[in-house]
Amino acid sequence: MSADTPRKRGIEARAALLDLMPRQEEAARRRLAELVENVAAKRPPTTSFSRFWILGSLQAKVSCAYLAYWLRSRWADAEERERLKSETHLKAALELLGTMGYLRGAVMKLGQMLATFPDALPEEFARLLPALHFEAPPMHYAMVREVFLDEFGKEPHELFASFEKQAFAAASLGQVHRARLHSGELVAVKIQYPGIARTIESDLKNLRLLMQPMRLGEDWDNTVVKLAEVERVLLAETDYLAEATFAQTVRDAFTPGDGIVIPRVYPEYSTRRVLTTEYLEGVHLEELLESRPSQELRDRYTHLLTVATTRMLYRTHWLLADPNPGNYIFMPDGRLGLVDFGCTRELTDEEWQLQVKVEDALLRRDEKEMERLIVKASLYDSAGQMGRERLELIGRVIRWQLEPWLSEGMFDFGDEDFFRRGMDAMVEVMRKGFTRGMPVHIWTNRFILGARGIVYRLKGRCDFQEIYRRESGRGGRERSTTLCPPLTPPAEPSPPPEGEG
Amino acid sequence: MRISEQAKQLCRARILEKAAELFAARGFDQTTTRDIALAAGVAAGTMFNYFPSKETMAMTMVNEALAQGREEFLTRLDGGESLEEELFLLIGTELRRLRPLRPFLGPVLERSLSPFPRKSVCPEGETARQEHLECVRQILLRHGFVTTPEDVAGTIYWSLYLGILASWTGDQSDNQESSRALIDYAIRTFVQMISGAHRGGDHVR
Ligand SMILES: Nc1ncnc2c1ncn2[C@@H]1O[C@H](COP(=O)(O)OP(=O)(O)OP(=O)(O)O)[C@@H](O)[C@H]1O
Repeated sequence: MSADTPRKRGIEARAALLDLMPRQEEAARRRLAELVENVAAKRPPTTSFSRFWILGSLQAKVSCAYLAYWLRSRWADAEERERLKSETHLKAALELLGTMGYLRGAVMKLGQMLATFPDALPEEFARLLPALHFEAPPMHYAMVREVFLDEFGKEPHELFASFEKQAFAAASLGQVHRARLHSGELVAVKIQYPGIARTIESDLKNLRLLMQPMRLGEDWDNTVVKLAEVERVLLAETDYLAEATFAQTVRDAFTPGDGIVIPRVYPEYSTRRVLTTEYLEGVHLEELLESRPSQELRDRYTHLLTVATTRMLYRTHWLLADPNPGNYIFMPDGRLGLVDFGCTRELTDEEWQLQVKVEDALLRRDEKEMERLIVKASLYDSAGQMGRERLELIGRVIRWQLEPWLSEGMFDFGDEDFFRRGMDAMVEVMRKGFTRGMPVHIWTNRFILGARGIVYRLKGRCDFQEIYRRESGRGGRERSTTLCPPLTPPAEPSPPPEGEG
Repeated sequence: MRISEQAKQLCRARILEKAAELFAARGFDQTTTRDIALAAGVAAGTMFNYFPSKETMAMTMVNEALAQGREEFLTRLDGGESLEEELFLLIGTELRRLRPLRPFLGPVLERSLSPFPRKSVCPEGETARQEHLECVRQILLRHGFVTTPEDVAGTIYWSLYLGILASWTGDQSDNQESSRALIDYAIRTFVQMISGAHRGGDHVR
């Protein structure tokens, strides 16, 4: 019976899809129906050949292309009622797409992003996209060798003293191998799957095409702008040299005494597609928690994590936009390692200045000014236009984000009530569809949610105010003019970044 | 007067060299045999003794590059490779050798290699096919598969391989990296298929 349900759902979905397609395209109709049925039934296909075929990305591409094509032609002259009906079908289609656990490249990365941080899209997508959670296809060693010949003109074993053929970690766009330099250092070598950048571009194009016909209400244009922003940052992530440069900048902001380790980059062994960094020994959050760490250790890591993110923001004005827990390495000697600086977003001067204003208003408890800034950041002209409910809810989220900042002494990030209040407010924002705002909020929100999620699970505490004062270089509460990193409100006032729209 | 074997070889090499230059500079279709003869400093009649057509010249270059690639491939093996990996290395190494010819390869391969039977086969194209498939057969043999070049698996392999060549010759991405993903995919598909057939396949059960 458990096998029946998906099957039945698949058949219904197939009917819905068939209904969507132009009648004259009989052969293509049947082809798509076949594809979709295979996927929808969710049973492993009978032969190993077709099983592999299902796993491949070509099929996903084919399906996407078919869908996009039909949907476009379908919508060209559709009446409003017809359109609404079709939206239902599209949702079914997308849900099916969501079961194709192998969509590669950007759709997967995008899914990951929206899963952590769904505010760019309305509810249906928030529900659909978390299913798209994956990794780039694995590369066998022969592939790695060919990539090395292209990138360095040398084989891995010529370049390194030793090189592990098996990857030890998956990366979103590739995989990571351990190796040893001739000088003896142990390194992590991140290798990008060939052509993934192009896949990202084409997948995002497909996604946009798929979404186009839905024109999700008044905030559609805003969603489009946000998608463009997502694409920009994603594509930036495919350039490992840019990541290396940024990692070096961050590294320079820390000293050994900080207890925070940013792995050293080895530029001689790095290219746009291969990044070699000092290997950091340690465990991930999950494993750390399994070892039942003492409260002291939890507090220590919470402190280090707060110092690290705060310093990054104040020294570099950069947001760590990919708060994947795997990027924090808890080292055996109590130090905190930070890897992966690929997905980052720099605040523009205007964004930074306006953020300062929000902070000022908050500290002065100047409610009028706060309201003005929230309205502005949500891209409305007036509080009246924005509406009371929206204003209140967004304000609630911001106040939650600022809470540690406003309280003296040790702040308990593991407090369940605190965490829940924030999550509830954010879920409410999603449910109401109050997602309109500046594209930069995608990253500030990810930044905040990512960090808060980790320290919550750590059940850790730290003296937030003290860290803030030290890292921002500002004195007491009264004189402060800038906010700590995990405090950036979604209603952060700033113009959209240049070149968007 | 008899021309020594060595002089013949030199002349042949010069013709190929000039042909490659012209193909690369002007394109394959825009280059005539007259142009090549002129550039190589040989009479048209003499040149035909070496190469009956410019297709033959181009395919000779292709075959030489592929043969070098296969030789190099064998030296790269360490014995621990899976079937997928060996095939991937074979194609990767061949294509690396073929890279210098890439600018004019499209029309050449299109004319000389085909999955369809033809009336007049290009002998060099046929050589390319047989030698490549022989190497593949050896690889398959090492991994416990017995095939002949003419059986179904061989035919399917050849179609995939031609698809790879077609994609690769027109690939605009850096280092033809898009084709690398395609090669990976095509080989995995092929191996899955013959494994299914070889081991009886799940569909039988
Ligand atoms: N220098 C390092 N030392 C130890 N482990 C590392 C190092 N670099 C990367 N890793 C491991 O490899 C994983 C993937 O690397 P990284 O995060 O840089 O890739 P990514 O493509 O950005 O992936 P994602 O976006 O999913 O985090 C990390 O989560 C970490 O576990």
